[in-house]
Parts: sequence; C-alpha cells; structure tokens
Amino acid sequence: MAMALRAAVIGTGVISKEHLSFLNTSARSQLVAVCDLSKISAQYAAQRYQAQATFADYRQMLTEVKPDVVHILTPPHTHKWIAKDCLEAGAHVICEKPLTPTHEEFRELWAIAQKCDRYLIEDHNYRYNEPILAIEKFVTDGTLGEVQEVEVRMALNVRSGGAFADENIPNPVHKLPAGVIHDVITHLVYLTLRFLPVEFERISAAWSNHGGGTLFKYDDLDAVLIGGSKHARIRFSAHTLPECFDVIVRGSRGYAQTDLFQPYLRCVVPRKAGKQLSPLVNHYINGSNLVKASVGNFSRKIMQRTPYEGLQRLLDETYTALQNGNPPPITFEDMDHTSRLVEALLAEGNRV
Amino acid sequence: MKLLITGASGFLGQYVVVEALRRGHQVRAVVRPSGDVTRYTWHDHPSVEFARVDLRCQEGLTSAIEGVDAVIHLAAAKAGDFYTQFAGTVIATENLLRAMVEAKVLRLVAISTFSVYDYVKMENNTLVTEDAPIESNPLERDEYAQTKLIQEQLVREFENTHQALVTIIRPGMVYGRDYLWNACLGAELTDTLWLRIGARATMPITYVENCATAIVLASEKEAAIAQTLNVVDDNLPTQREFAKKLLKRMTVPAKLIPVNWALMNSLTWVLWYYNKIILKGQAKFPGIFVPAKLQARFKPLQYTNAHAKEILGWTPKYSLDDAFERSSSDADLLAVSPQASPVSA
Repeated sequence: MAMALRAAVIGTGVISKEHLSFLNTSARSQLVAVCDLSKISAQYAAQRYQAQATFADYRQMLTEVKPDVVHILTPPHTHKWIAKDCLEAGAHVICEKPLTPTHEEFRELWAIAQKCDRYLIEDHNYRYNEPILAIEKFVTDGTLGEVQEVEVRMALNVRSGGAFADENIPNPVHKLPAGVIHDVITHLVYLTLRFLPVEFERISAAWSNHGGGTLFKYDDLDAVLIGGSKHARIRFSAHTLPECFDVIVRGSRGYAQTDLFQPYLRCVVPRKAGKQLSPLVNHYINGSNLVKASVGNFSRKIMQRTPYEGLQRLLDETYTALQNGNPPPITFEDMDHTSRLVEALLAEGNRV
Repeated sequence: MKLLITGASGFLGQYVVVEALRRGHQVRAVVRPSGDVTRYTWHDHPSVEFARVDLRCQEGLTSAIEGVDAVIHLAAAKAGDFYTQFAGTVIATENLLRAMVEAKVLRLVAISTFSVYDYVKMENNTLVTEDAPIESNPLERDEYAQTKLIQEQLVREFENTHQALVTIIRPGMVYGRDYLWNACLGAELTDTLWLRIGARATMPITYVENCATAIVLASEKEAAIAQTLNVVDDNLPTQREFAKKLLKRMTVPAKLIPVNWALMNSLTWVLWYYNKIILKGQAKFPGIFVPAKLQARFKPLQYTNAHAKEILGWTPKYSLDDAFERSSSDADLLAVSPQASPVSA
C-alpha cells in the first residue's frame, strides 16, 4: 500500500468525531494534527483520536505540519478563506457542507484549487449510505426502469432545543442564505441529483418560517423541480415528526424508498410471480425486510452505527483515490451542479 | 465580599445566590443573555446585579468578572450529547478561567462532583474520602463524568499555572424541591414505575440548602484555599430509607421493581466482557448495564463529610426529614431579606 497521507483536522465540533474516528483507524491516513480555537478542545480530540500535535492557529499548523490533506469542519462561513489557505499551502481539502454559501464563491475556490493543483472535496456522505447504494444498484441494473421522479424529504425538529434553537449563542448557520436549512440543503440536493442528474427548467420553491420569530429565517422548504419529463420534490420540515430522511426514487417499472435515519429498504416492482400476484409478493418481501430492519436498527443503535456510516465509506474511497493519484469520488460536476441548484432554489424568480 | 456566581439560574445556583445574600455578600449573578431574571424572587435584591453572558463564548466575560473578589463556578451542562456537555462544561470553564486571568481575579470555588471518582477501583464499603482514586478510564463513564473530569483538570492547571487560590467542592447527589428523585435510587421507567437497584447502599446525598451553605462558606474561608472537599449530609440514608420517604410524599405512589445489586452487578460484567471480547468494544449499552456507570450510582460505599466540616466549620443544618418537609412545603425557600449583615471570614 502507498504511504499513508498526512491528515489534519480544523474544527473539533460534533461532526469531527466521524472524521477523526476514520483518521484514527484507517491505514490510508496518519492523523498529524488537530486545530481548534479552544485549546482544551484540540487537546481532547488529539488525546481521544491519537493526533500527533495540536494547534489553535491553523496557519501555524499548515506551516509546521505540512499536511497532505486537511479536513475543514468549522462553521460554513469560515470555509472559503480556510480552504484557500490550505490549498495554497499544498494540501488537498475535504470540507464539510456547504462548501461555500454561494455558487460564485464555490467557483472562486475551485479556481484556486485548480491553480494549486489540489483537490477540493465537499462532504456528500449520504450518497455512500447502504440504502442509497442499494437504490443506485436498482437503478443501474434496471430494476426500477428509467428514473422519472425523486422525492427527498427531511424532517428535523430544529426548533425544539439543540444548537439551532439556542438564542444565547445564535448558530452561524442562521446567517446563511437559506438559514438553518442551508445546513442540510446540500444533502437534499446532491441526493436528488444522484438519481436525476438533469437540468431543471422549472423550479418552484416555497420558503417559509412557520414557527415565526427572528432567529430562524426559514424552517420549511417545499420545492418542486421539473426538467423535461422528470420531476423532483425537495422538502424540509421542522414541524412534522418523527424526524426522518426519506428518499423515494420512482422509475418507469417501480419505485424504491428508504429512511436514512431509520434505515430500511422498500422496493415495489413487478415480480416473477406475475402481474396478479406481484402486489402480494411485494407486500410479503417488503414486510419481511421491515421486520429485519427493526431488529437491524436496534442492533445498529447498540453498536453505535449512525446515519454517518456513509462518511466512512466516502473518506475511504477519497483517500484511496488521493493515494493512487486518481480523482476523488466527489467530482467538480457533483459539487458544481449541487451548488448551482441550491442557488436556483433560493433565486427570487423561483420562489412562490 | 463581592461574588461572581456562574450557573446562578440553575437548581443549586439559585440557592447559592440566596445563601450568599443572606450572609451579606454582594452577588454578580451570571445568567444567559436570553434568560428572564424576573422569575427569580431575588432578582431585585439591592445586593444583586446580573452579568448577561454565555460562558460558551468569550465575549464580555472579562468585564463581567472585573471587580469581584471571588468566583463560584457552578455552571455546567448536565444533559445533551457529549459535545453539548463539552461546550457547556469544559469550554465554558476554559473561557471563564482565561477571563479570570485577564481580570486578575484568582480566587475560585469550583463545583465538581462525586462522579469524578473511580468506583470500579473501590472495594465494597470503602470510605470515600477526597483522596479516593479519580476515574482512570473516563470513556467507560457517561458524558457528565467525562466532561467534569476534564473540567477539574482545567481548574488544577489554572491553580498551578497562575498560583490561583482554588477550592474544589465535590458535592454528592444534590436533592431538594422538584428534585427529590435521584439517580442513586434506580431508573425511572415511567412516572409511576421505578426500577430500584439495590436497597442497602448508603446514598451520597446533600440537601440543596445544606450544600449551598458549604459552597458559600468555601468562598469565605481562607482555610479552604487549595482544598478539595466532599460535601454530603450527616446521617446518610440507605436507598430503601430514602425511597420510603419519597414514596410517602407522592400523591400516586410509584410501583417499585426491586433488583438485587449483586445480581445486577454480575450481569453488567457479563455484558462488559461480551462487548469487549465478542463485539470488540463497539457496543454502547444503557448506563445501568455498564459496570463503571452502574457502580458509580449503586455500589455500597461509605461516605464522610469530616474534611468539609473541619475546613469550613460547616454543619448541615437540615436533616433528611427536615429536607423532605421543606421540599414539600409551600414556603418560599428562596426568599431573602433586603437587609443582611456581612459576615467575617
């Protein structure tokens, strides 16, 4: 195996646990440094995940440690300038979403990456979750037929407690163009585009703040997108429970659906038993799968497997590619299209 | 004295504020910016002022501290995931200590917890003193214990690096009005169905008013500087005795499912070995099925408050019966007269 890449992490908040646990265990990486403005946070992360050094100043870290790869896990409004410095210091950048608040800033950052001959990679982790990979297989092997519709729906109780509802220290994400929804919209959009990689000519996006108040800019998004004969719906709700992350892909032969927070897989397609018996067989197979999922999800909870399982797979593929001098799995087109579509959803002309 | 009290709006914090006022101190109470201070009966006391800052960020902290004689640091996060508790307990303390250095205030009474001890290393019926071993494997413990351990480490560094005048108070389980149930009894399955784990273990508890007095005394007494003090009440009850008193005061008494301590302890060790050997340590079981967490709550041990009494000249004023009586009464326990005479150390 090629030499392990020297990795560094900037920002040791909640998501750092997922990145650091990969870096701590992967033979493809060597965790050389962690950096955080809070000295004790960096010390804790370094001790817990066996990093070789800690820093409070990322520029000092870049100069002294010269990492091959930097994971940027800081609040979104800081990504651009930190990523620029990392790329110019000769490091590939893996950055949490959203990479930048606007498409224009993404293109600027991409140009810097090109100039520095480094890769810039946005975290599209849910693309690598098992149920999404399974649905992808249904698409590629023709089980679903030609994909016609995609619905991606996330329900998160962001208004009742937690970091987003904290009025004492308003989360910086509230200042992004889509407010708190900007924290997850990248996921909603790249999953839509994964199954419907088309240009949507007609977009109708309803942004609402049903809960009111000044802290939240929006707490609800209901968007319909049409490109040719293909339809997509992107939905975010803060007022429906239970929390879920539903993905439904409908093709010309059948459909598949999952919930990435409580994983299961349902696939309704014509079965070998024939037209008359297919509904029965679908109910039987999907019912069995649901029972298995209930046991499996209990086991997942005990075994601490979280919805971030895809991140481990994404990072492994990314590090493998970087080690071998190949392009990483998340491409410019993936990020560019995602960023453009987020912008289109926010565009005044597309609002209803 | 002028005392800055963090966590002033919390359960214990409010009683500490009131006790400080009763003893004639001036209080600068730290409350979060969005907090409604008018809900505290003592909010308009002439010796109270508020510092509206959030310890999780540094902004405004130094000026909030400037001019006080001592800091009583109670603020901590007791709920939420690890990172929420890390921010509310560890980063909050890191910011506070940095601001104290900047404000040149180096007298600190830091409130820690019994959770920092290593209960697995103690034999049954050991007397838990301030010299008992500190948890050596924090990852086996809950988020609260993990973050309070790091907090104590920060406070020790502050003491050593800046020659600060530090007292660490480790209260046992603090109980009082609205907080009569505590985790040393068992697990609340529902409001009226409890799992009681063990019956004969002594409970390391302190009634909130007794504890508040000890904390304020610690800020007053020079003898408390550089000391670590365990704070529990006298004549500690067993789990059975406490549960009996608690059930008597419930309008609809809960049903108890008693579970033998030795049986439960054995079961957790079986699960622990299964997890370590078969599941490669990847499993996370509920707290009562993890030996280190179970023992921290239910292990039969002995406790002493001798050192706190000697250093502070403190005697817990309220017995268990008094505490239950007061907690169940209609009396305003947080009432404080506008006039109080300053006490001398």
